[in-house]
Amino acid sequence: MNETRLIKRVAIAGGGITAWSAAAALKRRIPSLEIVVVSSPPLVDALADRIGNTLPSIGEFHSDIGLSDEDTIVRARSGLRNGTAFRGWADGLPNYVHAYGSYGAAVSGVAFHQLWLRDHQPRGRPFDSFRPADAETGFGLRLTIDLYQQLLRDYSLHLGVAERPGEVADAILRGADGFVEALLLTDGQRIEADLFIDGTGPRASVRSRLAEDFEDWARWLLCDRVTFDAAPPDANPTALDDVMATATGWEWRSPSPTETLTGRVYSSAHDGDAEGAIAIRQGRLSAPWVRNCVAIGDAAVAVEPLEWTNLHLAHSQIDRLVAMMPDAGFAPVELAEYNRQCNAEADRIRDFLCMHYVTARRMEPFWRDATSIEPPPSLAHTLTLFAERGRLPYYEEETFARDSWLAVLLGQGFLPERIDPLVDSVTPEQAESALSARHQRVAEIQPSYRGTFLQMGQSAPL
Amino acid sequence: MPCRTETALTPYTSAIAMRSGWRWRIPLQHRTGNGYVYSSAFIGDDEARAALVNAVEGEEIAEPRVLKFRAGRRTRSWVRNCVAVGLSSGFLEPLESTSIYLIQAAISGLVELFPERKISPVDRDEFNRLIDMEYDRIRDFLILHYHATERSDSPFWDYVRTMTVPDTLKEKIELFRRRGRVVKYREGVFLDASWVAVYMGQRIIPEGHDMRADLPPLDALARSAEALRADIAAKAAQMPDHRAHIEAYCPMAEAA
Repeated sequence: MNETRLIKRVAIAGGGITAWSAAAALKRRIPSLEIVVVSSPPLVDALADRIGNTLPSIGEFHSDIGLSDEDTIVRARSGLRNGTAFRGWADGLPNYVHAYGSYGAAVSGVAFHQLWLRDHQPRGRPFDSFRPADAETGFGLRLTIDLYQQLLRDYSLHLGVAERPGEVADAILRGADGFVEALLLTDGQRIEADLFIDGTGPRASVRSRLAEDFEDWARWLLCDRVTFDAAPPDANPTALDDVMATATGWEWRSPSPTETLTGRVYSSAHDGDAEGAIAIRQGRLSAPWVRNCVAIGDAAVAVEPLEWTNLHLAHSQIDRLVAMMPDAGFAPVELAEYNRQCNAEADRIRDFLCMHYVTARRMEPFWRDATSIEPPPSLAHTLTLFAERGRLPYYEEETFARDSWLAVLLGQGFLPERIDPLVDSVTPEQAESALSARHQRVAEIQPSYRGTFLQMGQSAPL
Repeated sequence: MPCRTETALTPYTSAIAMRSGWRWRIPLQHRTGNGYVYSSAFIGDDEARAALVNAVEGEEIAEPRVLKFRAGRRTRSWVRNCVAVGLSSGFLEPLESTSIYLIQAAISGLVELFPERKISPVDRDEFNRLIDMEYDRIRDFLILHYHATERSDSPFWDYVRTMTVPDTLKEKIELFRRRGRVVKYREGVFLDASWVAVYMGQRIIPEGHDMRADLPPLDALARSAEALRADIAAKAAQMPDHRAHIEAYCPMAEAA
């Protein structure tokens, strides 16, 4: 090996949730690192730093870095969410819910959705009427952004992370090999480090100095504008967020404990530019990690918040960074494996989002355009295979479980042409008795689940 | 070549490296199976037969038979209305006992994608994609056993030690050599523990380590490793001898 020196100094650029999450995770799990966060307020288009709705995976991230529910839910005043209610995405069909858990009950190896296609779909019972009960659903958080960011910053500083407020003006590259030598701040200060982590949002102030390798997804995901707004909190907030299709995109409504957050995502080509709209460019870097500089969060992957994956992607990148930390030689084989995993994950999330549009049923010009795009090959394969007989292919680094795909596909009326012949091995009576056994189990756990939530000081959105 | 079981009835198969390949030793209740898997480019059939006879323990029950095979897989297991399952889809030597696994993987895949009247090309392609993936991952794992060797006492081992291996395997080895990372799969028969066992066993020792390993204090780690060792030893001491257990649990009727 050419270089066995360990990485010692890490500089993280960015002052939002993404950057502070990286700082806390790295310091907590690899305490020998000397970490400095070059902090500046996150920019408006850094969605991982601004979107408060998160997936259930956030719970694992917190326990990995030593934060409890008391810290992240009670103290940071987060709400709890169990899924998303999609409204108006398929003309002529009821609204549907994508909840994080399993739908119905499988019997003897026969997937529930196949039984549903035979027994329930013909009678007009929507797939999501079999969605998991609250007690069985994974829950994500509705973060109160400023409190949560403050929590992560305080925690990082407590762990021994240093903060250096400042704006990155430039990254100084070493002549010999193009590695980043130091960050040059607007006040003239130099910040040197072995590893530079870029959490500055889509502009990627540091990482963009090494290579311009952004792969644009605009041909698959047509929306390119987002607006944010807020309303007073609901008296009885629900655990579901609303995502309503509009003529040129969609809008959301999230009742968090402190306020009700709303927003709109749309295509400027179909709707012009609203005042105060923030431009987003969906896509990813072809290699988030180059030499001694790795982009995380929106600097690596930028997607619309449709399924609340923005912070999930950042967490997942941070987890990999911790697990795959190389030495100061930055061997290409190690970076390549990191990039392979990150890219596979990002592409599959892109597919999942794109699937919402191509299987939607609406008549406006935007929707006609959005449904008639040619999907990415991996999504095309998924849809063709599913359309045959309701089977979903398996991919490495898949974020969303099979039932999440099913909830959206079947919720939007994208039905397979045939029912799997395997269903013949299960009678409708057997299927029905498996369902009622499941309801029985849920009835037993539901009260204690509710109690747990009440204890967390929540306004019981159940 | 079957022999009488005269030595220990081990609860594992032995794969013993030979000059031009390797041989297996599979102890059963009524006999011990033996075989020599070799490369005909490096050793003749008669010489191989003699080497096997010479190496095995126990009185031989039958003469060795020579079987020829060509390692590889079909480019497409499923073509039109004909699906190859098991050995008709490909042949990998029995080094890691994968033949039956591959049969079962093909059957499960076929059950899941079973065609009705009309065969859909999509189902067929998905089946082929899954089977190819299984074969290719096992292939890399088998090649690792040969390539990661320090033997230099015969032309066969000189060849496999220095041969070009598939890029997918080259990357896996290099990644492990750096910091002990195993390329992550969620599917496939051999997962992390299997890869680590062969890497370490054949002395591909990582040059660095995962920085998270520095976190727990060394003496605490040593204490818990010691506790684990004692726990395993205590449990193992309670276990009956393998032969005694088999005789008590599932004895075979005497062969007629």
